[in-house]
Amino acid sequence: METQLLSRPSLATQLYAIYVIARKDWKVFWRYPLNAVSHVFQPIIWVTPVYFMGQAFSTNGQALGFAQYSGTGDYMSFILLGTALSNFILTVFWGMGFALKEDMDAGVLESNWLTPVSRIHILVGRTLTSLLTTTIMSLIMLLIAGWMFGFHPTGNALLAFLTAIPMLIGLYGFGFAFAGVVLLMREANTLVDVSSFLVQGLSGANFPVRSLPYWLIPVSLMLPLTYGFDAVRGILLKTNTLLPIYVEVILLIVFMFVMLWFGAWIFNRVERKVRVLGTLGQH
Amino acid sequence: METSLTPRSLGQPGFISDVRAFYAILRREWTIFRRYPSWIIALLIWPLIFPMMYILTGRALSGIDGSGLAVFTKLTGATDFIGYIVIGTTVWMWQNIVLWDVGFALRNEQMRGTLESNWLSPTWRFSYLLGHTGPQLISMTMFILITAIEFGLIFSVKLNGSAWLALLVMLVSIPAIYGLGFAFASIVITAKEAHTFVFLVRGLVMIFCGITFPVSLLPGWMQSIANWLPQTYMIRAMRSAAFANASFTELLPDLKALLLFGAFWLTLGYLLFTWMERRARQTGAIGQY
Repeated sequence: METQLLSRPSLATQLYAIYVIARKDWKVFWRYPLNAVSHVFQPIIWVTPVYFMGQAFSTNGQALGFAQYSGTGDYMSFILLGTALSNFILTVFWGMGFALKEDMDAGVLESNWLTPVSRIHILVGRTLTSLLTTTIMSLIMLLIAGWMFGFHPTGNALLAFLTAIPMLIGLYGFGFAFAGVVLLMREANTLVDVSSFLVQGLSGANFPVRSLPYWLIPVSLMLPLTYGFDAVRGILLKTNTLLPIYVEVILLIVFMFVMLWFGAWIFNRVERKVRVLGTLGQH
Repeated sequence: METSLTPRSLGQPGFISDVRAFYAILRREWTIFRRYPSWIIALLIWPLIFPMMYILTGRALSGIDGSGLAVFTKLTGATDFIGYIVIGTTVWMWQNIVLWDVGFALRNEQMRGTLESNWLSPTWRFSYLLGHTGPQLISMTMFILITAIEFGLIFSVKLNGSAWLALLVMLVSIPAIYGLGFAFASIVITAKEAHTFVFLVRGLVMIFCGITFPVSLLPGWMQSIANWLPQTYMIRAMRSAAFANASFTELLPDLKALLLFGAFWLTLGYLLFTWMERRARQTGAIGQY
């Protein structure tokens, strides 16, 4: 019987390696159940003050001022959907960005690097679990928060899900580049913290970007995620969209391909650089 | 003539040696604090961007014609909703930073492997926690000053009251905020993994204390919980002092409550610390992590 080892790379061995990495991350995630609970309840804690603030701006439970910008007075459905999607932004910045840094700190990065597995595939493996766990946690969060505050989608959920896919893949493509930058900088907490907070905010996770001050609107429109949030809300909540939904979907598909290429390109360059510098094992 | 010197070293604990040890800890913390200047960036950015997200949400809720803002103003009596939110979020950030800094002071020593050796020195051990408070108070003063300057310059937030009374409220709040930090530090050293505890405590402040809304909007049972949290009184008193031109007499009930909370949390913090110290010596848990 002929054995097919990782030392003789083929498509099958690469796929198997991706599966093994994803399974390892899956096991690690569920080994810390409090962490999973935190993933569900943290976003709920963050939106609770927004719920009560919205009540202070509402008449008979309807945020009429909010409706002038968004087309819906149901501000909590708008915000909860934004929160669920922005969970992926946080996961990409903190999870993907620090995925290799964690391996570095644990002292396993160098040995992983020596295996005959494409380094991009190592990141792809980590992306799969991250996507799956974040989707599960976000759905549970939506169920609980929907029960607490009310979540009333009226549109086609399947279409909204399909629209979100290119946005999420593009986002994870960006995560490849970000993982490379963290690998190079090694200590990047402030960078990650501030940039994730800003991207999340300026993409319109908690408010329609039309309501931003005029000097911030161009910044928001330059972020592809803005169109992702907008299109998903437009489909699921029937809100006013910035552009026709089909244009936003085309932009998201372009974003997906550009980011996958850009992320892999940056990551490969940085990876070569840290090998030349010999800083892979330093932290 | 024969003279005899009685050396007063740390080996013979007394008040002076304790003061010297406290000063040494304070100086060490100050040196570490200055060695990592990246905090300057965080100090400039966070006071602006954290409240900004709530302010921008408030802006969206106000509507194009400001009809939402009119409802908010009628309900809260706040003439400046940006100032209203900035005070709430700043108090939250203050408590959050104290939980991470003071709350993790002993845990960080434990992780560095220096806690056990420090524990062996004949020093009043509570001074390890007190020593951390000095640089923390200085950085928080800078944090609050930067917040006031940034929002004054960029958003033209102007006081409609007394800055001195607002300052008084902050001073009176210090024992409660840091007492909670001391109690937290003792729990962390026992429970080890403490991130979830930080999320829980700061989550309580975020949900119940009205950082972006009046507490009167909460259901009755939530208001009862809010009444047991000092941050509720701090936020209300600071808003009244800074934006509602409240007099000292009007602030007095909140100030008294804050002093009582301060006495309670400082006492509890100290008692928890002594309990943790005794327990750690009995179980040998001080070096475990």
